[in-house]
Amino acid sequence: MPPKPTKVTNQVRALRFESGEMTQADLAERLKVTRQTVIAIEQGKYSPSLEMAFEIARVFKRPLDDVFQYAAGGTDDQPSS
Amino acid sequence: MSHDLRQPDDDDPVIMTVDQRSVWAYLTVVLITSTAYFVVVIPRALSQPIEDVSWIAPMLWAIGASIVGTIVGSIFGSIGGAIGLAIRGIEPKGQLEGDLRDKDIKRLGDRRGALISGGAMFGVLVLAMIGADAFWIGNLVFLAGTVGALVEGVTKILAYRRGF
Repeated sequence: MPPKPTKVTNQVRALRFESGEMTQADLAERLKVTRQTVIAIEQGKYSPSLEMAFEIARVFKRPLDDVFQYAAGGTDDQPSS
Repeated sequence: MSHDLRQPDDDDPVIMTVDQRSVWAYLTVVLITSTAYFVVVIPRALSQPIEDVSWIAPMLWAIGASIVGTIVGSIFGSIGGAIGLAIRGIEPKGQLEGDLRDKDIKRLGDRRGALISGGAMFGVLVLAMIGADAFWIGNLVFLAGTVGALVEGVTKILAYRRGF
């Protein structure tokens, strides 16, 4: 059975590689979580808390929107015609 | 004494946290002890009047074995995990301890397990109201506990493996 998708997608894996090949263990250590949690976040199997999401963005020195995207429909900012 | 344990690389296999190992121990032990209990008690219940069935001692043994087995299984699982990491030259510290995700998974599993167990208490109440034999009351409580534990354990394992 495929992993249960969350509505939140992220660029954590790509940003790790952009940040000098940071390993999962390195990121986990900085966030004070397990490597398993970093892997679960990258694979979309776990949506981190808002606090942890900000921590992750801070590690990569990026705004939150660059790291996490919310893919649910119906809440777009596009004006209705 | 010097040690050259390293942090895991991304290619290293993912290991289970202590919390996840405890869930497996709990699930396995409850399955074994509950099955053993019913294998002992059901034939007795089918072969003699319910009020004569000896069920209290087997149930106490099953509950005691579940508690001890889960504790022992969790300890051995944790030690095994640490040894496995050390053999591969990986620093166990920071790899085995649970974190926020483990707490979230625990909360999810506990809630589903409690729903099952709690719901069955209505059945127990009805049995008590109609004056059913203690056998039925005791065994419904035990069955509810078993099913609740299995739902709790399976929920947690699925959350660990598939996400939530």
